[in-house]
Amino acid sequence: MSSIKEKFNQISPSEFFYSNRDLAGFSNPTRSLYTAVREFVENALDACDQKGILPDVHLTIKAVDPDKPDPKPYILTVKDNGPGIDAEHIPLAFGTVLYGSKFGLKQARGMFGLGATMAILYGQITTNKPVTVKSSSDGKIQNQFEILLDIQKNKPVIVKHTTKEISKTGLTVSICLEGDYSKAGNKIRDYVYETSLITPYASITFDDPKNQKFSHPRFVKEIPPPPTIIRPHPHGIDVERIRRMIVESQFEIPTIDDAMIEKVRKDLGLSVKKFSFTSIMDKAKKKWKTLPRQVRVVIALMSFLKMDFEKLNKIRIEDIDMPNKKLSYWDFGDSQSKSVDMDPESEYYKQLTNTVQGEPLTTFLTKRFQRIGPTTAVKFAEFAKFKPEKRMGTLTNQELVNLSDALQKFEDFMAPDSSCLAPLGAEPLEKGIKKFFNPDFVAVVQRPASAYSGFPFIIEMGIAYGGDIKSGGPHVYRYANRIPLLYDEGSDVVLKVVNDTDWGRYKVKGEPPFIIVSHICSTRIPYKTAGKENVADRQEIERELRLALQYLSRKLSSFMSKRGQAEMAKKRANLYAKYIPMIAEFCTELSGKKKEPNYKKMLETEIASENKKAKEEENKIENN
Amino acid sequence: MKTTKKEQENKIKSRSKKADDKQKLILEILKTHGAKIYGDLENGQFPKFSIPSRSVSNIVYDKQLRQYILGNNSALRSSRNSAQLRSFTQLMWLAFFANRLTTERKSSTLRDIYYSSQAFAVEFEDQSESDNIIVDLEAVTSRPREDFHIFPEERSSIFGDLNIEYTIPGYEGKTMNLANHPDGYSIGPSLTTAELVSTSAEIVIAIEKGGLFTRFVEEQVDKKFKSIIINTGGQAPRSTRTLLKRLHDEMKLPVICLTDGDVYGEHIAMVIKSGSANAAHLRDLTVPDAKWVGVWATDIEKYKLPTIPMTESDIKRCYDLQKDPRYQDGIWKKELDVFLKLKRKAELEAFSKYGLTNITDKYLPQKLELAKSL
Repeated sequence: MSSIKEKFNQISPSEFFYSNRDLAGFSNPTRSLYTAVREFVENALDACDQKGILPDVHLTIKAVDPDKPDPKPYILTVKDNGPGIDAEHIPLAFGTVLYGSKFGLKQARGMFGLGATMAILYGQITTNKPVTVKSSSDGKIQNQFEILLDIQKNKPVIVKHTTKEISKTGLTVSICLEGDYSKAGNKIRDYVYETSLITPYASITFDDPKNQKFSHPRFVKEIPPPPTIIRPHPHGIDVERIRRMIVESQFEIPTIDDAMIEKVRKDLGLSVKKFSFTSIMDKAKKKWKTLPRQVRVVIALMSFLKMDFEKLNKIRIEDIDMPNKKLSYWDFGDSQSKSVDMDPESEYYKQLTNTVQGEPLTTFLTKRFQRIGPTTAVKFAEFAKFKPEKRMGTLTNQELVNLSDALQKFEDFMAPDSSCLAPLGAEPLEKGIKKFFNPDFVAVVQRPASAYSGFPFIIEMGIAYGGDIKSGGPHVYRYANRIPLLYDEGSDVVLKVVNDTDWGRYKVKGEPPFIIVSHICSTRIPYKTAGKENVADRQEIERELRLALQYLSRKLSSFMSKRGQAEMAKKRANLYAKYIPMIAEFCTELSGKKKEPNYKKMLETEIASENKKAKEEENKIENN
Repeated sequence: MKTTKKEQENKIKSRSKKADDKQKLILEILKTHGAKIYGDLENGQFPKFSIPSRSVSNIVYDKQLRQYILGNNSALRSSRNSAQLRSFTQLMWLAFFANRLTTERKSSTLRDIYYSSQAFAVEFEDQSESDNIIVDLEAVTSRPREDFHIFPEERSSIFGDLNIEYTIPGYEGKTMNLANHPDGYSIGPSLTTAELVSTSAEIVIAIEKGGLFTRFVEEQVDKKFKSIIINTGGQAPRSTRTLLKRLHDEMKLPVICLTDGDVYGEHIAMVIKSGSANAAHLRDLTVPDAKWVGVWATDIEKYKLPTIPMTESDIKRCYDLQKDPRYQDGIWKKELDVFLKLKRKAELEAFSKYGLTNITDKYLPQKLELAKSL
């Protein structure tokens, strides 16, 4: 390796975020308070979702000194009934940056639990107070920590640790931070309100600094099916990711020491007493299927060395040269280097090859990616101009880049698996909209899964009209992975699609009382900015949004026309009742008659017929 | 001329009979329409009627009549159609109300109609809506609103040696000479419906402006030129046009028009002569033999009149009128072209530059002479 001395100072992740905190949404007291609320509430909901617990989340914000003007220190507390965190993980989870449990490919609100640590960091910077964490993962003992972050070292400093008995699992996090509630209050209340719409199975309460309580009880008793963790799709991969996957797939040659030998002996079920080479091999063959990889490797080596445990104890493996089929070792007894030939036809040779050079390309593809079968893998190898049996461990840098490019370009991969997504579902969404807006009309749709750049996504959308909805619509409620998006709506792809719609075509005119709820679920939402507030206009997403909106708009249009017809029929009935008697009166005098014409029966029949029409149209609406 | 008392009475009788006849005719028309509506209702049907279309595409110029008339297109108005029901009712009310006015020989104005409707729970949004329904009534019956005793606000007046005899209630048989009051007599319902008895005048001069009208009276134009002077007050109202027609038809008097020297003045004369597209559904409002004698565009140079530049809307109006079939020949076309060329206009008052009486002393005699050859 290079002998040049490292000239750069490494900085810890904590220091990096300290100096770039505005990237994560902590640019000023208003935004920071709002972001901190979001991070903790979302962590709480994610934790409950993962364990299938109906979430009860309590948010409290209290001013340290209520009489001081904003911005001032606030205590922000979020309490949940989730699984809690084991005591040993708490200091690291809350006292270091980039420590989290959310790695892996599935839909979650946040990615790495990073935001919560950022909030803690921000609180510590602005108020110099530790974070208080109360956690119980067993429902019996609650661990209470007060933790400070050592920013330079990225290490937790435990200020205080106590335990007490408790009867429920759950996590409570409390931080002290500089905030501006007078400015952030509206957004926070909107956030809580809109979150409860997209999380109808959660109970969320909010005690604000002015002692106002906002309560959003759950109105759906079932949690939508949780997402599963899945392997990546080849379209969503880059060179670095492949490199890491190769490292994961390759296994080091185990060091053959006393402990290792002991393990092999134990796994083979052999007692301490001495066994011959052949009896060891026989035993291994019988038990092969149950043996762990490390043990298999040791057995394979032994097969070529033709040694028993006693002899094995006296050598050290120097090199395993697969292309030349040579296995060389240092013999402590003879104090010299020796080598043996390996039979490439042997089963054990294959075992060693896998270990040393990694899997063949086709195996790598079928085992480590989603939805690639052996046929597709071979087809791909041909497309990418690789031999199907090419060992992953032998790829040069250039070959890695070529492979990555080919993975992006190959079009015969199946669409990404959407089982890693957790849409809310049409029914709970409709329930939520009905409860929130009590509308005259509601329609929801869940589009089939689609994908952009290898990332699967699902669009859910709802549209509602009339009832408690204020006029001046459409008002758009935007969600991504069950998070409400409240800022920067101007440049959002959902807004773009809504604004492109000519509502007049759907019989929606003037300043109509209607809303649109849009939910994008994906393993990766293509946010435009780090603040996670607006979604970029990826062609595939835009298309799905358009299809969803068109479908709903047509439903709305049919409602509007039925409603229009009902209204027209009612209006006609009223107009007839009002004007026909007047006409009768005027024409009687005009024609010099004494008695009014005999029109009452005709009028009654017509009015009844119009009212019937109105009723029929209204019934059609209700039955939809 | 002397008449015996007996003869006098007979004349009055025959005149009031004429007025009675007309009233009967109008009432008969209204009754016919009312009876049809009544019949529809009696038969258990939504009443309906047909009305000539007044859309632009149905307004055509009739060369023989020398005025705009409505073509053959007509529209069906049905009380079943909820979009038409309201205006249907409004029209029925108006016919009903016109029937009362005519029966009682009471007059009312367009504005009166708007307010009167409110007593019967017939709402009009504004006067322009009620005005529109009045035009509907005219179109359905082919009679001008004045026949139903509905008059516009008056602003035109008449002066000169003309004896009339009133037919309106309370004044029947009463006579009047229209030269008795130097401010002139306003042309309202009573004058429009009066009998024209006799005159010494040989010509009618319709003049656009009140100021000039007063000057003409002062300068005794009526005596000097044996004329009846009428102030049209800008665009002549219908009643004034009706009176002009009657003076021409009944008293055999030629009619000449004197207007400002601009495109609007020229058109005021044209409307007296051949009516307007707005009144294409009506007849008997035109004096096809009326002559426009000035102020012409060519007069502006000829008489070296002080001028003012045309506005953009003046010029636009010129181009619009160039498309009108009535402006395709004669002085109408010629003067319009000259106006467009000059892009300047002159008012009647411009003659005052050469003395207040210049217009009556010099210009008018020349024009009257010229009119004989037009």
